[in-house]
Amino acid sequence: MNDTLIRYIEEELLGGEQSIAAEDDLLSSGLVDSLAIMRLISFIEQEYSIKVPPQDMTIEHFISVDAISNYIKSVKVS
Amino acid sequence: MVYWLPQTIEASAGKFPEREAFICSDRSLNYGELFLQTNQLAQLLAELGVRKGDRIGIYMHRCLETAVAIHGIMKAGAAYVPLDPHAPPARTRILLQDCGIRVVVTIPGHRMALKKVVDEPEQTGLSHIIGLKEEWGIPTIPWEAVFQLPGNQTPGVNILGSDLAYIMYTSGSTGMPKGIMHTHNSGLAYAKLSAALFGLNEHDRIGNHSPIYFDISTLGYFTAPLVAAATVIVPEAYTKMPASLAQLIATTQMTVWYSVPLALIQLVQSEALDSLDMSALRWVLFGGEPFPTKHLRTLMELWPGARFSNIYGPAEVNQCTYYHVPAPPETNAAIPLGRTWDNTQGMIIDEQDEPVSEGETGELLIRSATMMHGYWKQPELTRRSLFKRTADHGVEEIFYRTGDLVKKDAEGNLVFLGRKDRQIKVRGYRVELDEIVNRLLQHDAVEEAAVFPVKDVAGQWVIHARVTAAPGMPITETVLSEYLQEYLPRYARPEKITISASIPRTAAGKINHQELQETTTNPGNP
Repeated sequence: MNDTLIRYIEEELLGGEQSIAAEDDLLSSGLVDSLAIMRLISFIEQEYSIKVPPQDMTIEHFISVDAISNYIKSVKVS
Repeated sequence: MVYWLPQTIEASAGKFPEREAFICSDRSLNYGELFLQTNQLAQLLAELGVRKGDRIGIYMHRCLETAVAIHGIMKAGAAYVPLDPHAPPARTRILLQDCGIRVVVTIPGHRMALKKVVDEPEQTGLSHIIGLKEEWGIPTIPWEAVFQLPGNQTPGVNILGSDLAYIMYTSGSTGMPKGIMHTHNSGLAYAKLSAALFGLNEHDRIGNHSPIYFDISTLGYFTAPLVAAATVIVPEAYTKMPASLAQLIATTQMTVWYSVPLALIQLVQSEALDSLDMSALRWVLFGGEPFPTKHLRTLMELWPGARFSNIYGPAEVNQCTYYHVPAPPETNAAIPLGRTWDNTQGMIIDEQDEPVSEGETGELLIRSATMMHGYWKQPELTRRSLFKRTADHGVEEIFYRTGDLVKKDAEGNLVFLGRKDRQIKVRGYRVELDEIVNRLLQHDAVEEAAVFPVKDVAGQWVIHARVTAAPGMPITETVLSEYLQEYLPRYARPEKITISASIPRTAAGKINHQELQETTTNPGNP
């Protein structure tokens, strides 16, 4: 799951110019802006057939690829 | 007596040294510490040879160090110039050169982005970078070293209220960004007027959502120190996660909020507001672009204990009008700009520069204590932006031409009707559409270019471009969008560039923007 997310972020959101690691802080560094986050969320919803409700859009869930993977897994289980 | 901006910190530190001045994430500075640290930075700048009138860049996003940098630079007698770490490196280099910036203040977190700007140090003209450890052919001074300097005294620079305090860059229609120059007088006039209008005092906690290159940030950075209030700087991550932002407003007990409408709309849509205690929040200010009334109504119903005000004013005058929204609006009619505030004169004029009759539409001119000094090194542009007349007593009155078309409604409130030129607001950012046109035309393979805005499903402006290729020069959309990426910030780049055989023109031979808008199907709105 991490690899798919990293590939999407690198290729679609960062224009293939930058590589990231699963633990990198996506939000504080300015790596991705708020529009890119919205695109990332729609990608996650399609790719993993889940719905991300607005109240789940928190820093804890989206700070890094690791955090996003954990979040998706927790939604899938429940 | 307080007549230049950092004196506000000295006065507040004298009265309330222990009170929090700036808060960001789990770090904060009280007024005593802020007084000390700004002295230390000013001391260092003086040692580096910075003199009165020099320009110093601040390459930072929302963080605690912005407060030290802004007031430390001004204490040294220099003007601060906010630089956006998200901007393309080429654009930042243009600003560094245009403004003759030799020293930049930053934080280690922006190391990678700054590295791209100073790839070739000799081209940027920088002599020092403050806030980094490693050197790239340019000497650096880390923050740790700054905070070891003696800081009990402010350097003895003779600063007058009419001296330059800061320069904020904005989109320029020629393709070159323009620097809006403000003095200590205009900055302090804003601080005093806003403190009085919103009754701010040392018990307030002001939520600052805006980056420092937006004039909205001056409420947190100038007004709060004047009244010894605390400013909560919203960290970068919170601006992207509305549900977390809602929690931050509640847990930090913000009493006053000021941002562009979009941040508030996202809060409403986060559906996270019901469960939180927002009882401390007494006043919500919004500005930068119109707030869609239906969203404002929802927010006002969610926060019945808070007052809401629409703030209007181009960065050239910072703020000039306000409208206190009396109750959740019953219709979806646009929220008025309201009335000019104290120490300010508004005048509506027609195409011949003559005042319009009562209730007629025209361009709004503003004369105020908060008005800019002019555009940096652009006397001709400054001259064209001003309207001057000599009163009977022989003294010249200088008005700023806002370019905004307004009229006065029956209640005497100003109502915004559109722009006189081709400037639009994208998520609160000012964009001159002709800056994009000029940038496209500078590409060798571009023959003609048209840039026009289209509304998306959410009613927000989206920029489109139509281009024809120069003879024998094949061009693709990808090449052009990569080219624009080098020069334009993200918000100013077209969402879609179409390569086409021709561009529709009016009978007079002008580009037919109306036809372009009407025939463009927005991808988000099939």
